[in-house]
Amino acid sequence: MPETLIFYALSGFAIGASAMVIGQRNPMYSVMMLIASFGALAGLYVQLDAPFVAVAQIIIYAGAIMVLFLFVVMLLNAPKEDGSEWDRSHPLRQPAVVRLGGLLASLLVVQLGWALLSARGLGGGVAAFGDAETVSSVRVLGRVLFSEYVFAFEATSILILVAMVGAVVLARREGEGS
Amino acid sequence: MMDTPFNAVVPMLCVVFAALAVMMAEAFRGRDEQMALGGLGIVGLVGAAVSSMLLWNRNASSFGVIVADNFGLFVTMTLVIVGVLTIMFSSVVVRRDGLPAGEYYALVLFAVVGMIMMATANDLLVIFIALEILSLAVYVLTGIRRDDPRATEAAFKYFLLGAFSSAFFLYGIAFTYGVSGSTRLDRIGAFLAAQSMSDSPLILVAIGMLLVGFAFKISAVPFHMWTPDAYEGAPAVVTGFMSTGVKAAAFAAFTRVFLSAFEPFSVDWAPMIWILAVATMILGTVVGVAQTNVKRMLAYSSIAHGGYLLVGLIAANDVGKAAILFYLLAYAVTNVAAFGVIALLGTRDAANDELRDFSGLWHGRPALAALMTVCLLSLGGLPPTAGFIGKWYIFSAAVSAGYYGLAIIGVLTSVVSVFFYLRVVVMMYMEERDPGLAAPAHVGGVGMVALVASIVVIFYLGVLPTRVLDLAAESISTIF
Amino acid sequence: MLALIPLFPLLGFLVNALFGRRLSKTVSGGVASAVMVASFAVSAFTVWGLAGLPVEERAIDQTVYTWIASGDFVLDLALRLDPLSAVMILVITGIGSLIHIYSTAYMHDEVDSEFARYFSYLNLFAAFMLVLVLGANFLVMFVGWEGVGLCSYLLIGFWFKKPSAIDAGKKAFVVNRIGDYAFILGMLLLFARFGTLDFQQLAAVVAGIPPEVGVFGVLSIASLLLFVGATGKSAQIPLYVWLPDAMEGPTPVSALIHAATMVTAGVYMIGRNAVLFSHAPETLMIVAVVGALTALMAATIGLVQNDMKRVLAYSTVSQLGLMFLAMGVGAFGAGIFHLYTHAFFKALLFLGSGAVIHALHGEQDIRNMGGLKKDLPITYWTFLIGALAIAGVPLLSGFFSKDELLFEAFREGHTVLWLMGAVASLMTAAYMFRLVFLTFHGERRHDAPAPVHQLEDESAAQAHDDSHGAGARPHDAPPAMAFVLIVLALGSVLAGYVGVPHALGGHNQLAAWLAPSFAAPGGVAEGLHVLSEGEAALEFTLMGVSTAIALGGIAIAVLIWLRRPQIAASMAERYPVVHRWLLNKYYVDEAYDATVVQPIRVGSERALWRGFDVRVIDGAVNGVGAIVAGSANILRLLQTGMVRTYAGSMLIGVVFILGYYLWR
Repeated sequence: MPETLIFYALSGFAIGASAMVIGQRNPMYSVMMLIASFGALAGLYVQLDAPFVAVAQIIIYAGAIMVLFLFVVMLLNAPKEDGSEWDRSHPLRQPAVVRLGGLLASLLVVQLGWALLSARGLGGGVAAFGDAETVSSVRVLGRVLFSEYVFAFEATSILILVAMVGAVVLARREGEGS
Repeated sequence: MMDTPFNAVVPMLCVVFAALAVMMAEAFRGRDEQMALGGLGIVGLVGAAVSSMLLWNRNASSFGVIVADNFGLFVTMTLVIVGVLTIMFSSVVVRRDGLPAGEYYALVLFAVVGMIMMATANDLLVIFIALEILSLAVYVLTGIRRDDPRATEAAFKYFLLGAFSSAFFLYGIAFTYGVSGSTRLDRIGAFLAAQSMSDSPLILVAIGMLLVGFAFKISAVPFHMWTPDAYEGAPAVVTGFMSTGVKAAAFAAFTRVFLSAFEPFSVDWAPMIWILAVATMILGTVVGVAQTNVKRMLAYSSIAHGGYLLVGLIAANDVGKAAILFYLLAYAVTNVAAFGVIALLGTRDAANDELRDFSGLWHGRPALAALMTVCLLSLGGLPPTAGFIGKWYIFSAAVSAGYYGLAIIGVLTSVVSVFFYLRVVVMMYMEERDPGLAAPAHVGGVGMVALVASIVVIFYLGVLPTRVLDLAAESISTIF
Repeated sequence: MLALIPLFPLLGFLVNALFGRRLSKTVSGGVASAVMVASFAVSAFTVWGLAGLPVEERAIDQTVYTWIASGDFVLDLALRLDPLSAVMILVITGIGSLIHIYSTAYMHDEVDSEFARYFSYLNLFAAFMLVLVLGANFLVMFVGWEGVGLCSYLLIGFWFKKPSAIDAGKKAFVVNRIGDYAFILGMLLLFARFGTLDFQQLAAVVAGIPPEVGVFGVLSIASLLLFVGATGKSAQIPLYVWLPDAMEGPTPVSALIHAATMVTAGVYMIGRNAVLFSHAPETLMIVAVVGALTALMAATIGLVQNDMKRVLAYSTVSQLGLMFLAMGVGAFGAGIFHLYTHAFFKALLFLGSGAVIHALHGEQDIRNMGGLKKDLPITYWTFLIGALAIAGVPLLSGFFSKDELLFEAFREGHTVLWLMGAVASLMTAAYMFRLVFLTFHGERRHDAPAPVHQLEDESAAQAHDDSHGAGARPHDAPPAMAFVLIVLALGSVLAGYVGVPHALGGHNQLAAWLAPSFAAPGGVAEGLHVLSEGEAALEFTLMGVSTAIALGGIAIAVLIWLRRPQIAASMAERYPVVHRWLLNKYYVDEAYDATVVQPIRVGSERALWRGFDVRVIDGAVNGVGAIVAGSANILRLLQTGMVRTYAGSMLIGVVFILGYYLWR
């Protein structure tokens, strides 16, 4: 029972924090809320007997990446989102349209919930993979990563390389390199 | 070729090494030194082509997740052709527009790597990574002209929406994994075939989510809205590349996933794709009629072509599967060439892609006008071009699978689409050059070679299609 | 050998298209004409060989290569010369050669590059037309079918400086596309049902199926779809509207494409699939009725038109209607016979009108002509022969074919259709002679417009010196044109003698020659209908009626337009509504525009484009126009926020797809 309670508390916190990330006008607060959300997710991973993923989540996302985000936000020195460009008269900006978007989003949530709720007892395939003990073992995880998923793992390096090249290209000042 | 466990990744590796070589060469290039970086890339692509030919009929498989079966190799060859043509057109454009050559070619090559990976992947996770590799590269290529606000806008829109669709795709993979316990297509297929899960909403939702991800990449309605903006904003040569390469790779993976892993559920997904296909063909054609910008018009046309390809996927008989492969090749060559003409007509300061920019082209640049005409006729599906055989093949597959409605709509839309292709032809031949326009730009030699080569391929596929049709039929016989 | 026939014109096309800009007119025109003559020579030679074969083996097949072969679907690029296609290729290459020669003189005022462009289109057209008639299966025929459509589009819009020419080209193309759509569907349906597109195989399969009498099955639907395709190409109700407008093209083009060859493709297609159509009697009935209605309607319109070429255009529509009437009553031989004679006299009439227009420097309105008989003697006499032939005056070619056609309609028991055809013939005779009289007889109503480049005072002087000033006189056709006119005039007189009916002591060789083409392969060609005593009498009677009709029509014309011109005016005054309806071609163009063209255009532009694209997408582009690059802009871009709309559209899609799977 307390496990369930903790689960709901953590997920509620994660959802709330994520909502605030979008809702904040000040990008600095948004970043902070994102860190909070990541923290809650890490808690969920612990609950799922995946301590390694939880730690990785904290170190990589909440730590490294978020620090980078903070730097960018501070360097850009944009204390507030610029709302002056809002054109309220546009037909797609009318409250009804915005509400329609909200409605669609909640409909999607309902659908996903529906699907998950009506699918109890499934996932036999995953269960066969091993019990909680093995899944949480860093050793087993490492083995799987470098045997079964080794190609995906290596391919990710290309993905990261592309991302770096892309960042260099886009960050280059105009007129350079020609 | 020796039999090693790594055979299947050789084509991909050739391109990876070419991309790395381009980056290294760029790094050590002197400030004003000229280097044939594109040539390096072509060497790598040719290596990929040669290794693909050597792998033909061998059904090589590496790491259990990359399978170089004939289906994948056929698409790989298509992608290599797209890559080579793109690099040839680019060599003119990069110099003219002052684009960063090293980064540009490296990104094109990495995108090709992602595409080949996607076409040969047998694992949902690898498909996802491949999708991201090619998407990231293409996002950046779209916005590579930093001095053009339209390009930046297009890149950003494409990126945001692409991320949005990736989320759905990933969600779909997660659900599939949750149900079947694997990301390997063969295992998923076996699992689903063994259990009777037709009433499980989870797997249906997973199929739906994956469908969304693929539909975005092939710009099926209603996931198409990024297409006209991105295609118009990107440099024409990049548009040609992404409208063909991305589509071919995505379609290959789409076909593989839905016809192997999710084959037991075809009763469930076919009606949905039917709706998408009809909406895509109709919207792409009808809105295309109203366009005045040629790039935008071709963007809608490529949406419509995605719809025709979906028809082949729904028909899902042997003819249909082979038709997808043939159509992809025909469409890829034709579309790259058409965008190549637009790219060659542009200048550094003006895109020259409005309909009236083509007025009287015949009088100024008859060769270019004639080549463009062939491309447009092929896109419109008029005989004796590649497009005609492709369309004929797709529609006869639909008819023989009993999808009369699809065939009727498909024929109708392709008949209507000829109208807007011919509008450009009319402009080129039957209008006087708008006196306010500058004379059409001079066309570089490499670009012209690429164009003539594409035209030869278009006619080859239209007049002597048998050899390629056989290859396509052979490709699908080994799998599914 | 067969492949050479279309290859020659294709070669001419390539020469003129690739090097035409550097060639002089003599060379490019010469090359274009020479390839056509060569093609004609080859055709004549092969047909000679064909005629030497015994009747049951009379077909030459040539598989150029296997076009598409995949699995069990094999499609050859195969050509087939049988009696039917033999007639067609002779007409196409023969009349085509003449028109090419004529064009070298007619188009001489064009600059070199335009001249070459014209001949390259013309050669390409001939090549496609030959592919159309020689194709041994539907797909090869379709290649030609689409190709001639494309070329006719290019040729109608040849004078692209005239906006009306461009509109006409567009109209022709769009209308033809509608027909093509049905044609492709018919083709796909046949393929799906019978698994083959080869004419021979198809006929063999269909021959084994009982005719669909009283039911509307696959055969009827497929043949009806094909027929809709034919109405597009051959200008029948409801898709005839493009043909009169197609006269915007150069006159030799009208002669070649819109009279002698392309428009006959639909008739030919039905003849080629005679077995299929005869197994779908319901469709045949529709064909006959549509043909008769078209013949009648076009003839009434032709009575009041004032543009010389337009009158001829409507007469083409009307004559094509008669051919379809013949096809529809199952008299395939008679239909093709009329096609063949019509090619001669219609080409002659068009080229004659071209000579008149040429002489008058572009004047086409017959109200501004008159009295040209003396100035243009060759043109006049040849034109007169053409008019006599089309009117059906005995002993000229048109008489034999039209008579046979109407006789067959009557003999098959379609009295009403026969009557409609007969009335149409009467009107044809009347309006053709109206054309002759208004153009060549009576007062000259034109002020002999001087060539444009002549000096002002010169033309003024000529206006004074009306009768003597040689410069003011319109010139008769130059030698190349005159030669062609004379040859065609001879043809118009003599062409009919290959089909002299039995009743007149002839043997109707053409019908016998064609018969194997309309029979199922392997099956015995239905023996030629031997006329019974009563039928021979009937044919004589009907022949008399035909003669009376022809002469009556001419007499009416003489009365109204030659002797008492005021009758025409008073008629128009007395029945203003009728006159207005006829003059405006029953307002069909307007009706199509209001019911079909406008809704589609408005729908595409307003609903889909303006509503969806301009608002949503272009709105974003315009909003962004002022923004410069940089990350701040990217944030700003987000706020203009149209990406949300795109995402919204995607979200709708996602919710729809998931909802479909969860709650269906």
